[in-house]
Amino acid sequence: MALNVVAPTTVAEAAAVLEEASRRGRRVSIERQGGDVVVSTQRLDRILEHEAGDLTATVEAGIRLSILNARLAEAGQMLALDPPGDPTVGACLAANLSGPRRHRYGAARDLVLGVTVVLADGTVASSGGKVVKNVAGYDLSKLFCGSAGTLGLIARVSLRLHPLPAAERTLVIPAADAAGAASLARLIHHSTLVPSAVDLLWDASRGSRLALLFEGSDTGVAAQLAAAREQLGGEEQPPAVWEEARALQARAAGRLPFPPRELEDVLGRYAEALVRPGIGSAYLMEPPPETTEPAAARLLERVRAAFDPQGVLA
Amino acid sequence: MSLAPELVRALVDAVGAENVVSEPADLRTYECDGLTSYRVVPELVLLPRTAEQVQAAVRLCHEHGVPFVARGAGTGLSGGAVPCPGGIVISLARMNRILEIDLESGRIVVEPGVTNLDVSKAVVPHGFYYAPDPSSQQVCTIGGNVAENSGGAHCLKHGFTVNHVTGLELVLPDGELVTLGGKGLDPPGPDLLGAFIGSEGTLGIVTKITLRLVRSPEAVRVLLAGFDSTEQAGAAVSDVIAAGILPAAMEIMDRLTLEAVEAAVHAGYPDAGAVLIVELDGPTGQADDDLGRVEAICRERGAGEIRIAAGEAERALTWKGRKAAFAAMGRISPNYYVQDGVVPRTRLQEVLHRIGELGREHGLRVGNVFHAGDGNLHPLVLYDRRDEEETARAKELAEAILATCIDAGGALTGEHGIGLDKRAKLPLMFSQSDIETMLRLKAAFDPGGLCNPGKIFPADVPPGAYGLHPLDRLGGGA
Repeated sequence: MALNVVAPTTVAEAAAVLEEASRRGRRVSIERQGGDVVVSTQRLDRILEHEAGDLTATVEAGIRLSILNARLAEAGQMLALDPPGDPTVGACLAANLSGPRRHRYGAARDLVLGVTVVLADGTVASSGGKVVKNVAGYDLSKLFCGSAGTLGLIARVSLRLHPLPAAERTLVIPAADAAGAASLARLIHHSTLVPSAVDLLWDASRGSRLALLFEGSDTGVAAQLAAAREQLGGEEQPPAVWEEARALQARAAGRLPFPPRELEDVLGRYAEALVRPGIGSAYLMEPPPETTEPAAARLLERVRAAFDPQGVLA
Repeated sequence: MSLAPELVRALVDAVGAENVVSEPADLRTYECDGLTSYRVVPELVLLPRTAEQVQAAVRLCHEHGVPFVARGAGTGLSGGAVPCPGGIVISLARMNRILEIDLESGRIVVEPGVTNLDVSKAVVPHGFYYAPDPSSQQVCTIGGNVAENSGGAHCLKHGFTVNHVTGLELVLPDGELVTLGGKGLDPPGPDLLGAFIGSEGTLGIVTKITLRLVRSPEAVRVLLAGFDSTEQAGAAVSDVIAAGILPAAMEIMDRLTLEAVEAAVHAGYPDAGAVLIVELDGPTGQADDDLGRVEAICRERGAGEIRIAAGEAERALTWKGRKAAFAAMGRISPNYYVQDGVVPRTRLQEVLHRIGELGREHGLRVGNVFHAGDGNLHPLVLYDRRDEEETARAKELAEAILATCIDAGGALTGEHGIGLDKRAKLPLMFSQSDIETMLRLKAAFDPGGLCNPGKIFPADVPPGAYGLHPLDRLGGGA
């Protein structure tokens, strides 16, 4: 561990670190190099509560997804986030991460119920709650999703869980070109199939594949797979394709949100990408064009300044 | 306090005389929302037809330091749309056009005054619908749904407004127009869109909304089960969740509610202590599998009569009673107060039991109709407003019920919002630093404090009045 890395073991310790740094005019970076002080959440990694009957859990932000999901699996449950690698829950929020199952379950912002954050000046604040439905006060847990450490440190997170499906099966369909891929995506969109994931592994030169994941009861999944094959073609394959999809996503330089109807145009512009056609999201191998409009950028800057007026967070 | 004549002239010019309400008798229409106990007559009501007109009006308010409140259909139940003293109301009722139906993207772009049900009506013929369905969906507007992050019976499976809005165009409190998100999901950067939704009209005025459409399911199955008590019905709900089944909706009505509903809409519910409605949707095979399992769970939990709706007409009738429940209470009580609290689903039975005790202790009837699947309770406290002492007791009872929810690890409101009604209660759930941190967001959006002021946040809180947030109670060394 580098000398300037601090790994607090409690929220109070984390608050003390930030408060002291800001008082001394030091720059702090969270979970990455760059500041005079680097705060790591690796020791803030406990499961504080798992209420299986409520399908909710509250954890410290430094816990790894794999460790959390292994524990939840003992109760037949999961946090339905499957981004590449094995990020911490805090990282999932900070970058609003998701993986193939974004299609059905949403991104981190859709699964977070509440957070405790530590602001640059050491203020500890909670928002949201630990129940699945709650509109009391501003939902700062959403605001911190995608904030990339610029608004404060995410310390504790309450999450909505899902039951582990009894059965999972995968269908893979070759897509000849952009028009073919777009036509498959359209068919799925207008069908009554309910896939948990729809990923297009796009490679304009070497051939592309569309993968669908079905989850549910044994008979329910079998019926869906049969219906999907009839409507779309393709073959059932082992789940390895999802590792490929996640690996492709991991290699991406950035993500482009797009209106799903423009799929064919988007594919025409890029030689390689991992695309989630149903939600309108393309992971590109080159930096994506800027999509935030200037007025929104100014608003964001005002929000950032309100949370970190001294500019402590690097 | 009245508005300066030159400001009134400028506001009338900004939106056009035909879009202004200024007669005292007409202004009274806007003095309250669905919670009629808070009333303030606005100085002026504007009904702009375009985003430019909203911008112009807001800019004038900003320049003159006049508070403004945006209003949809006025069906809110927390006083969130009550005007501010000396302020104006900006009604979005006339911005009610559907701007674009993009079926290929599964999106619809609407103005804020479009009603919730009209969104679904526009796309149902094409095999799609809009999922959030508050009980007031025939009249409530999408703009209001965005302000309140509205839910509804079907949000158990399909999520809330925040899970279905992909883009917003809004007028900031200084008049600037900003676009957040679009038709694609998960725009980069902090989720301002998610933070804005549910901010109860305190951060700006929405002028255009892009919504996600959901494909109509292949199969819908509705099961209705009669139980001896709400506790028993609540236990069945817990079992369904524990079995890993995610129904589209799970709703419970108790005996008192059933009586009122039967008198009002003749839905033909069984004579029982409580009725549980479970709706399952999805591919046929999966829905039928789940239906069989839910039926078995209900039987194990001692359900008497179990009915499975045979077709669309029966399904509609089953839901008609549920959606009419609040209004039906008017048949058995001169007045009622709708409480809106949330409890963890595992605590349902115990909290329902406690609500029964509290009702008896206060000598008042409480009807229970609620979104059981997500633990969102709507106890209806029945009272007679003409009796001052009883009115005070009803308020006390409603507050005691809310405190019970918070003690069980729940929340102050599941879908009706804090508004004016519960702002003094916010410290039950949030500490001073929690609230001050939320106010940083407010300050970034609305430094002048003119956008729906006085809502959500308590005016002043005595020292030591703050409770512990549910997350802080879990410790972890806070």
